[in-house]
Amino acid sequence: MTTIAIENPSTHSGISNAKLGVWLFLASEVMLFATLFTTYIVLRMGSATWPWGWDALNVPLATLNTVILISSSVTIVMAYARAHAKDVGGFRLWMALTILLSFAFLVVKGFEYSGEFSKGIFPSTSVFYATYFTMTGLHGIHIVGGIIVNCGLFFMSYKQEHWENPLFLGRVEGAGLYWHFVDVVWIFLFPALYLL
Amino acid sequence: MAKHKDAHAPDVVHADHERPNIKLYLGVFGALMALTGLTVFVSKFHLPRPQAIALGLLIACTKASLVGAVFMHLWGEKRLIHKFLYTAGFFGLLMLIPITDFILTRPRAENHADVAAQHPDESAGAGHPVEAKPAEAPAPTPTPAPKAKSKVKAKK
Repeated sequence: MTTIAIENPSTHSGISNAKLGVWLFLASEVMLFATLFTTYIVLRMGSATWPWGWDALNVPLATLNTVILISSSVTIVMAYARAHAKDVGGFRLWMALTILLSFAFLVVKGFEYSGEFSKGIFPSTSVFYATYFTMTGLHGIHIVGGIIVNCGLFFMSYKQEHWENPLFLGRVEGAGLYWHFVDVVWIFLFPALYLL
Repeated sequence: MAKHKDAHAPDVVHADHERPNIKLYLGVFGALMALTGLTVFVSKFHLPRPQAIALGLLIACTKASLVGAVFMHLWGEKRLIHKFLYTAGFFGLLMLIPITDFILTRPRAENHADVAAQHPDESAGAGHPVEAKPAEAPAPTPTPAPKAKSKVKAKK
């Protein structure tokens, strides 16, 4: 089969505007989470004591969430691979799995939060818990944002016109980039809050 | 579900969309799972904090690099994208500068008495809420110097 590579004519960088926009957005997100992580380090170093995650939090549930999120990263990259091959059914299957895993992450997180609330633990309990709820809460909001985008792409895939639009693959790739970023943030949050 | 693909048409691929590599994705998935297991396993040993943080950070950086390089296609991505990330990373690192102040100048708590004195709400350990303990008798403090206003009242 012949392969024709088309350089994007709309930008002189050769990168589509959408992809460039997603990466700029992710760069701003790097700054946002870097600020939070720096705050976490300063608060931790400024505290005389800092509880060990195994004593203060539910590590098994967080480990399960890590497995779920890493799995969803694989399913979304598989959805991208299917979209790249213009395999509509395959794309829907992998994207549906990604959305299901995302909801599973939120459900597990909900169990974790409710367990803490039932023990009378709230953000106001200590600096540690304030940091924990702020960082995991902001990450959870990012998960919700990803679910909205992924659901949008899933429903868009039912219209033939989107598959004929060359921008659709870029949208799938952009959603994937965002989702992987959310995964990377969790990869750092998990040991920082739960294990160290 | 039918594939919307014409077998006779050329496979049109935009140069800025990376070609997927399924085997590589699955390999990275296995590596990420193994590294997650390793992180949890190592944390159970309760290593001294500096070693634990160094090891945890090393594993997390390895995992993030795998996700970035393979899943986000940063390996082989255009240099402009790399420049964005280097810039963001540079400013992120700048934010770490205040931490040097904590490392170099801040006196650390040496024992439980110091801890209890500085953070009574967390001194019971594990950060769980604790019942308020009766306060110890306060150390004698020098009486504050009378304010000017009170002097005026005294005169009256």
